[in-house]
Amino acid sequence: MQEFDVINGNKAAAIAAALVNPDVIAAYPITPQTPVVEYLTQFAADGVLKSSMSEVESELSAMSVLTGASLAGARTFTATSSQGLSLMYEPYFRASTLRLPIVMAIVNREMISPQTVWGGPQDSISVRDAGWLQIYVEDNQEILDMIIQAYKIAENKDVLLPINICYDGFYLSHMTEKVFIPEQEKVAKFIGKYNPEHIILDPKRPMAVDPLTNGDLLMEYRYKHLKSQQNALKVIDETDSEFEYLFGRSYGGLIEEYRMEDAEIAILVMGSLTGAAKEAVDIKRKKGVKIGLIKVRALRPFPKERIIKALGKIRAFGVVDRNVSFGWNTGVVYQEVKSALYESGKIVPSVPFVGGLGGEDITVKMMIESIDKINSIEKNHNTVWLTRE
Amino acid sequence: MINVEERVALMEFKSKYIAPVGADGVYVINTGDWRTVRPVLDQDKCIKCGICFMYCPVNSIVKEDGKFIIKYDYCKGCGICAHECKSDAIIMIQEAEK
Amino acid sequence: MNIIDKLNSKEDMISPGISACIGCNVELTLRTCMKVLGPNTILAIPPGCMGGVGVVGWDMMSGANCPVFFPLLDNPASMLAGIKLYYERIGRKVNVVAFAGDGATVDAGFQCLSGAAERGDKIIYICYDNEGYMNTGYQRSSATSKYSWTSTTPVSTEGRGGKKEHKKDFPMIMAMHDIAYMATCSPAFIQDMVRKIEKAMEKQEKGLAYIHVFNPCLTGWGIKAEESIEVSRLSVETNFFPLYEVIDGQFKINKEYKNPKPVKDYLTKIKKYSHLNEEEIEEIQEIVDEKWDRLKKLASL
Repeated sequence: MQEFDVINGNKAAAIAAALVNPDVIAAYPITPQTPVVEYLTQFAADGVLKSSMSEVESELSAMSVLTGASLAGARTFTATSSQGLSLMYEPYFRASTLRLPIVMAIVNREMISPQTVWGGPQDSISVRDAGWLQIYVEDNQEILDMIIQAYKIAENKDVLLPINICYDGFYLSHMTEKVFIPEQEKVAKFIGKYNPEHIILDPKRPMAVDPLTNGDLLMEYRYKHLKSQQNALKVIDETDSEFEYLFGRSYGGLIEEYRMEDAEIAILVMGSLTGAAKEAVDIKRKKGVKIGLIKVRALRPFPKERIIKALGKIRAFGVVDRNVSFGWNTGVVYQEVKSALYESGKIVPSVPFVGGLGGEDITVKMMIESIDKINSIEKNHNTVWLTRE
Repeated sequence: MINVEERVALMEFKSKYIAPVGADGVYVINTGDWRTVRPVLDQDKCIKCGICFMYCPVNSIVKEDGKFIIKYDYCKGCGICAHECKSDAIIMIQEAEK
Repeated sequence: MNIIDKLNSKEDMISPGISACIGCNVELTLRTCMKVLGPNTILAIPPGCMGGVGVVGWDMMSGANCPVFFPLLDNPASMLAGIKLYYERIGRKVNVVAFAGDGATVDAGFQCLSGAAERGDKIIYICYDNEGYMNTGYQRSSATSKYSWTSTTPVSTEGRGGKKEHKKDFPMIMAMHDIAYMATCSPAFIQDMVRKIEKAMEKQEKGLAYIHVFNPCLTGWGIKAEESIEVSRLSVETNFFPLYEVIDGQFKINKEYKNPKPVKDYLTKIKKYSHLNEEEIEEIQEIVDEKWDRLKKLASL
């Protein structure tokens, strides 16, 4: 019997980490991630969590401690937000290029300036090309389930890459929901053991880590890294199925399709704003609009094939981005979806939406208006900003 | 110009590793080639104090059977041994003169 | 066993051929320290001279006979902390050691090192202080001493200039973290150095052990190769860089001279100080004297 509890997203993340019981945890508090660190230290004090903890003096050290621990063979966990992620950028990039399957929750918070502490995935989206896998989730159950799945995905021999589980600050981190908590033995069985063979710092197996490397060899490593990102496409989908088999919950893997079977138009979203979008889809469906929704779960690797397939029969689409792509005058996910479709050769009218920055609400009404806009376009439309009335 | 995919298909991977590791032995530079002057130890003058051994930055002096021997494989010819020797048992000679 | 036989019996853990400058006393320091530390060691070599000369290796080959890696310039202590945490967890005793230049230690890596010191991470951190960023051609660091010429603290055509500030007193800063062990070393005093590395190995079980080695740089500072050790020795004999250690808060001076040589004897051996006038030399002498007095007082506590 699975237990359940009514908990906020940060507690769900901390519980997931405790269920996995990684060897080493190092984290530095930052709003809105702070409670994750507090829960973890409390769990450790109570003896529920058996991980070795490092009370680091910054996020730079949090990621550095984990990089060292992972190189020694440890399974690791940390969490951060916005400025903390920026501060750890140097070891962040390196964790992926050293192929270390570190798991890090990112409690998405808008990047300053202006000074802000509220939600928005601009932080993790801005580092989407640092070689990590990135998965964005919609609710607290998904936070818990995906942190568990993250270990299985990251440590897969065909992947061996670090992974971020990203969830919206405050909207999820501080909001309580009913969450089922799986049994620890079942989790342990699901994720198995981590036995690094590809890279290790161990006097019993002396090797150099990261010698000075010529460009031709560096290109080989990059090629293999890119390939592993592509391998992860399959692994993320398969892991979702395995998880469903054991725990009875599925999220669709790389993307979730909602009412897409007979859809003529589509709205694409990512993260916690999916809830409002689904509600809007239901409302418009009742009024006869053949609208479907795609929740983009994996931003890296980008699920090109599945997006192409899911959008195969639609005549127009729109993407609601809670982030911006400087230089494009749109959000990031919109650009990614457009790139994917270009490869399919099927070019249909589309419209980018930008809203919800800095923790602003994206209401069901805004989503309905967005759907109306998608339904009305006959050619590509300029960016629509979803703003307060 | 060649497409990267084609290039990779054509070439054998140089590295069998997926991560940047140095696990194929020890990389050695023949620093002995740099030498323009070489230390020569006069065993008769040597008082066996071991100062030369202790200060050799490249570990080119060894103690064998109670005697100190200069090995030239990696000796860069810095002259520290001759400079530090208290009994003037080591002299530096031009490599050309050898 | 005397020091010579002891070192002669140890394995050289570093590649026999690395491209350090001719006469480099950092190479000597590294080989000596690693002989003592031995094969059960994980060695961190952050960007700097020793990384540049091939100690971490090249392409798919290693530069050492033990596990060796490049940490980032700004995170050696944190990476080592993570490694050690895991080895402690699985119950294996391993020496986890940084061999880092002053840039990676007193500047960019200071935050991580200070954090590790405060947490008492059980690592050995060796800094080779050659007073600047030598691997990139000798730019100023906060370990550069007063009036030193560097490529970023130039001397004018009138012969004035050099660095305006004196170096950070880093051994003292580390000692004030109340770490398990702090010691200063010089490549001119090998026996002292070997003893201190052994002490650090013993003390690492209690917390962070920090060793600060003062390494005059031949190429960057302008010193004749064969005088590599002589100049290092003068830095100690003039009290410019005193040898001392701090065990459990107790300061102990290891080399004390009844009549220390004037600092001028040291400065005039080095080209980076060749523009100094008598007043400037006197000023440095005063700094050295003041610091020595403070150290004496601390040692008398």
